Amino acid sequence: MPEVILEAVDLDYSYPDGTNALRNINLQVEKGEKLTILGSNGAGKSTLFMQFNGLYRPTSGCIKYQGQDISYKNKALIELRKKVGIVFQDPDSQLFSSSVYQDISFGPLNLGLSEQEVEARVKQALIDTETTDLEYKPTHLLSYGQKKRVSIAGVLAMEPEVIIFDEPTAGLDPRHAREFMHLLKNLSAEGKTIIISTHDVDLAYSWSDRLAIMSSGEIIAHEEPGELFLRPELIERADLALPWLLEMYCGLVEKGWLPPSTPLPKTKADLLMIIPLSPMNISPIPKVSKL
Amino acid sequence: MINIDSYAYSNNLKKIHPGEKSLFAVITMAVCLTSPTVITPLIVLALMAGGIILKAGIPARVFLRLMLVPLSFLLLSVLTIAFSISTNPLGFWIAQTMNGLTVGIRYPDLITAVQLFLRSLGAVSCLYFLALTTPMTEIITVLHRLKVPAIITELMVLTYRFIFVLMETAITINRAQSSRLGYVSLKVSYRSLSRLFSALLGKVFVKSQELYNAMAARCYTGEIKVLTKKYPVSLRNYILITGLELPLILFNLLGRR
Repeated sequence: MPEVILEAVDLDYSYPDGTNALRNINLQVEKGEKLTILGSNGAGKSTLFMQFNGLYRPTSGCIKYQGQDISYKNKALIELRKKVGIVFQDPDSQLFSSSVYQDISFGPLNLGLSEQEVEARVKQALIDTETTDLEYKPTHLLSYGQKKRVSIAGVLAMEPEVIIFDEPTAGLDPRHAREFMHLLKNLSAEGKTIIISTHDVDLAYSWSDRLAIMSSGEIIAHEEPGELFLRPELIERADLALPWLLEMYCGLVEKGWLPPSTPLPKTKADLLMIIPLSPMNISPIPKVSKL
Repeated sequence: MINIDSYAYSNNLKKIHPGEKSLFAVITMAVCLTSPTVITPLIVLALMAGGIILKAGIPARVFLRLMLVPLSFLLLSVLTIAFSISTNPLGFWIAQTMNGLTVGIRYPDLITAVQLFLRSLGAVSCLYFLALTTPMTEIITVLHRLKVPAIITELMVLTYRFIFVLMETAITINRAQSSRLGYVSLKVSYRSLSRLFSALLGKVFVKSQELYNAMAARCYTGEIKVLTKKYPVSLRNYILITGLELPLILFNLLGRR
């Protein structure tokens, strides 16, 4: 059985004004997995994320890190935040310094590392997020996508065990969204646990090991993406849509191009591979006659 | 202001150590402000204009426009020093007497006014040199090295960053209002402007809370520690600064006698 690294147990959370933001959340995050939290706007994804590194304290229930209830004492919180990093949705509220270099160095310096170590980590984070050429630019002259990448670098440089990305691809152009997915792949390969939130069903379907769907503060499903997307009532309830890969797959099965037993394609390449050649292309069959 | 800021990041002197640029600007300013003659400020002006236009590569047009900004204030204050009103018509260099009152310029006042004018202009040019060639973040770093209390430098870092965030927000709101004819008449303009400010105030609180959360998530404990880019220290620049400043200081001392 895989090790559970982060866990929410019977978690309830209300904002100080009484809004019930999270209701009875039970969620287990396994070490090294790729978890996506899908949900419409205001479903409570960001609020849940802030529970995971102790920024918000649950009204009832608890968060466990490596099986231990997290403590809300200052020292313990810092230890937790070294392990669980969050990249926030709006880079403008994360970047506090006008200097890209200074901003990225903030987190690792707080870990108490030596200057040389911090320098090396900043450099690596700049390379990983393709922001090396922005190093000397002030943050206010960067585009939204560039700011986003810098804010990602700021968390990567801390090298946390679990990295949470709140809407990471929102506002990125297709090329940089692709680069970002590539970065995620590398992080997974290093054994990091990655949680992202998104509305992008295609990304969620292709990338994740498991999916959780949130709707009005509750987790209404938590399974593997293939199983989850084949339950239309869930998708409907969470205001989501089917990934195009699955729509295509269902269409092909329905029209008899694919046998119903065909495994679900995970990527575009998978789908193209399983679509059979048209009978007209196969018709001469000279090779078969030789046999 | 935004213009000055973007030149600070893109000028030809951006790779020079900020400490060297600050030292040069501050010493020159001190020399200029303490000069007893009008010649030193003129030299300083020429020096800074040369530094800004030729060395840093900032268009002369931009520099001249910036120098015009303090000019209007300066002229006003200098005129009040140069002109005097008196019932005694004696001692005036140029004067006009009407109904027993004499309005005019006394010679020593004129000298003082011209000196003050040039000194101020010279000092302003030193400030522009620093502002146009050195990013704010680097100036803050220099201040931090000079042991200015962290509370001040940290506030400067945050203020400087959030000037731009706020301005961007204000511009966005303004655009949204204008595109819905929010500034079509004077009355409507007042109302739109007041809404813009109240919206901005609300956003400030939200943003500051978000910023705090984001910083706490990166293990913020009440002290903003950052690493600054290292710049090469150039002996040549120090020699250059000494070579330029020493004659000016000597010249000042001789002028005092």
